[in-house]
Amino acid sequence: MRMSQGAKSAIPVLLFLGAGFAAPLLAVIWFSFMPARSFSLAGAPTIENYLTIFDGTNYISFVWSLGLAVAAVVLLALICYPVAYGLVRVFGKWATLLTLLFTIPLFVSENIRLYGWVLFLIKNGVLLGTLKSLFGLQLESILFTLPVIILGMVYVYLPFMLFPMTLGISMVPNETRDAAFDLGASRWQVFTEVELPLSMPGIVIGFLLTFVLAVGALAEAKVLGGQQVIPIAHDIEIAFTYAQNWPLGAALSVLLMLVVGVLVLLALRRFDLDSFLGRR
Amino acid sequence: MTEVPAILSLKAVRKMFGPHAAVDSIDLEIAEGEFFTIVGPSGSGKTTMLRMLAGMDTPTSGDILLRGERINDLPANKRPTCMVFQSLALFPHRTVGQNIEFPLKIRGEALEKRKARALQLMDLLRLPQSYYGKSVLKCSGGERQRVALARALAYDPQILFFDEPLSAIDYKLRKTLEKELKDIHRETKKTFVYITHSLEEAMVMSDRIGVMRNGKLVQVGSPHEIYSTPNTRFVSEFVGDVNVLPVSLGQDGLLKSSLTGGRLKAPRVPAGFTQGHLVIRPESLRFLSAASEADNAVTGKLYNEYVLGSRIQYQVRVGESVFMVEKLRQQSFNGKLDDAVIIGWDAKDAILVTD
Amino acid sequence: METRQQRLRHALITAWTIAVIVFIYLPTICIALASLTASRYFQFPISKWGVEWWQKTFNSIEIRQLLSTSISVALCVTVIAVVIAFFGALAFARYDWKGRSIYQKLILLPIFFPQSVLGLALLLWFNTLGLPLSWKTAVFAHLVWIIPVVTLVISIQVYSFDPALEEAAFDLGASRWQVLREVTLPVLFPGLFSGALFAFLLSWGNFPLSLFTTGADTTVPEFLYAKMVAGYTPGVPVLGTVSTVGAAILLIGGYGLILAMRRAKSIE
Repeated sequence: MRMSQGAKSAIPVLLFLGAGFAAPLLAVIWFSFMPARSFSLAGAPTIENYLTIFDGTNYISFVWSLGLAVAAVVLLALICYPVAYGLVRVFGKWATLLTLLFTIPLFVSENIRLYGWVLFLIKNGVLLGTLKSLFGLQLESILFTLPVIILGMVYVYLPFMLFPMTLGISMVPNETRDAAFDLGASRWQVFTEVELPLSMPGIVIGFLLTFVLAVGALAEAKVLGGQQVIPIAHDIEIAFTYAQNWPLGAALSVLLMLVVGVLVLLALRRFDLDSFLGRR
Repeated sequence: MTEVPAILSLKAVRKMFGPHAAVDSIDLEIAEGEFFTIVGPSGSGKTTMLRMLAGMDTPTSGDILLRGERINDLPANKRPTCMVFQSLALFPHRTVGQNIEFPLKIRGEALEKRKARALQLMDLLRLPQSYYGKSVLKCSGGERQRVALARALAYDPQILFFDEPLSAIDYKLRKTLEKELKDIHRETKKTFVYITHSLEEAMVMSDRIGVMRNGKLVQVGSPHEIYSTPNTRFVSEFVGDVNVLPVSLGQDGLLKSSLTGGRLKAPRVPAGFTQGHLVIRPESLRFLSAASEADNAVTGKLYNEYVLGSRIQYQVRVGESVFMVEKLRQQSFNGKLDDAVIIGWDAKDAILVTD
Repeated sequence: METRQQRLRHALITAWTIAVIVFIYLPTICIALASLTASRYFQFPISKWGVEWWQKTFNSIEIRQLLSTSISVALCVTVIAVVIAFFGALAFARYDWKGRSIYQKLILLPIFFPQSVLGLALLLWFNTLGLPLSWKTAVFAHLVWIIPVVTLVISIQVYSFDPALEEAAFDLGASRWQVLREVTLPVLFPGLFSGALFAFLLSWGNFPLSLFTTGADTTVPEFLYAKMVAGYTPGVPVLGTVSTVGAAILLIGGYGLILAMRRAKSIE
């Protein structure tokens, strides 16, 4: 069978992803239909795990994770858009340096960075300690509350919203904006009629990526939130480890994958990756 | 200067980018309803000038007046002018109809009125009515030009600016569109201010042409004037091939040229001329059987010939330099390569320039 | 057009961006500060400044083992990822073939996926296969996510690769292997370098995947997490700062190298 160059080059990646991505996920799906607390794939298929989820409290974690992810996405969209706009249209030659500054945190593991927040916010930490010594203020730490978890998520996922947005905004040709202005549009109209629609591909990717990663967030709730909120990823972890209930963990994972999968499929269906990434 | 009132006046307009003067003190009056083209090589400042007229940039000094009123600080979206950009800048996410209606939509016009106007413009620009809902991404190059023009005309601006819109199009389509633009200019009776680097293109369409170089306007005149009486060597070389001889004025009123050795009869000599260049267009030269047949003659060798469509260009070697002679195909010269030939011109057909 | 409105807008955007950057680096500064205390617990303002914990950390055998584990994982991941992703990127951006658009979307799936869930799925998978967990399984886990990322990074470079270069070399008599060695790889080198840099750094700093798949072995992020939860010592911020500064140096150095390469190439 003659294979094109492209297909031949794709084989290593596809094989690897087949063994490392598709296979585990299929195993997870299969496991979700196995009897509870069993460890083999040879049991009799059942849907009891799914029923457990909806009868029990697991779906609460689900809702929490979705809610937190949505909150993070909305906040990040508002926070990142001005920065992305600046990187493309305002900062000129400083943009590269700033981009580098925003990139560095990506490579430092999130729990280290989150721990910095702990040191900042904890009693006798940087913030409260300074306030106490300078002003004699004795305030309660906001650690281990819900807002701080959202702060942590916003913090960790910022680059994943910023970079796609920047890419999207850079795809709006200057002359098209100038033309709209010249034809009589006000600045706001140029933004809503031209700028925003044409940068949508980037914005959508930013939303999608941030949401999908945020929904599986684990470290923020653990490090910053104490036991305030148990996100779904934590529930899955508990099921796989302490509770020794693999099928339940698998079922929870499948539900999460469904949510993520549907979103990704919807958004990427008509997406032209070539023009987005570089073929101009 | 003209009886028609000036719609756009520039008085000592200057634009500096750091120490560099992109536009270096320009004075100009553009009459209402005329097709005025600014021609110049890249870097001459013509785009900068157009952007200032349209309101995209502000002059560093000087005044821009619209019907006598100073508009330096008036932003582009408030000026009664519209620009057709080099890239056309059509909105890719909108249809043909939506693009054309854009100026009306943002001014709050109702859908029915907008649509009627868009269809009317599509008629004027020879776009089929069925294109109304078509995505601009699916339109051909020529069609997109027309959409861009229709969009610029939509809310009836007083002046239309054109930023080299035809430069990225292939030859045949460009020739067609040049003529169409001229027709539309006549039909709409609006003032067109156009910029291009091609003098040829400018001559086809314009009522008057301004030649720009290094931020200054070097010559302004009708196409005929620019072509047959260029005031500098730069302008004369701007369209096609031209023969240029370095000359100096002798005491006897004849011109001395190191190239040809002998004395040349001069055309009208500008006041104060001592030395400069004699410019002779290829079509003003002809082959002679004897030197006495023309005012000025030189001998040389037929070096090469090129077929240029309806004309043939002959290259004649005279000493170290090459003269170009052009004749229509029907009147082609019967000579073989390396033949000795005599070429000549009448004094009145040449121009003296100083630069 | 430079209007007062526009200048105000630009000033606001600049101020906001600076605020965001401060926000981003605030924790890092706190960690750096926390590493400079001589006492065992963290209290601010710091009463006793000192670099003892830096010395203790660098002398610790346990820490050295951690660093060695993390580096081994990262290096293996880098090498394997770059090789596989190189071909993957060619399939992504260079060749036109029938399954290409589906392939492009498939590659993205591991990226658009919650990492902790991926880690747990792999844990399940390894256990099902009966594989013991160690740093080697962590390498595999990292690769699942990192290969697609590196593929994208290299693809960006491949998009601007002119296939005529290869065709010309071929036409001049080179074998396919020589074309690869003399034309393709050198031209794509900046992309491969960026990809390698990404692979190394992403693996070095990864927590969710490592947490579930390293088994008895421990990487630096895992160790730090364990200590954060229980058994805090200022060694934690020391290691954290080292991690951050190391990543910054690698990134800035790598970027500088790429710039230098580009400049050298344009002079040629």
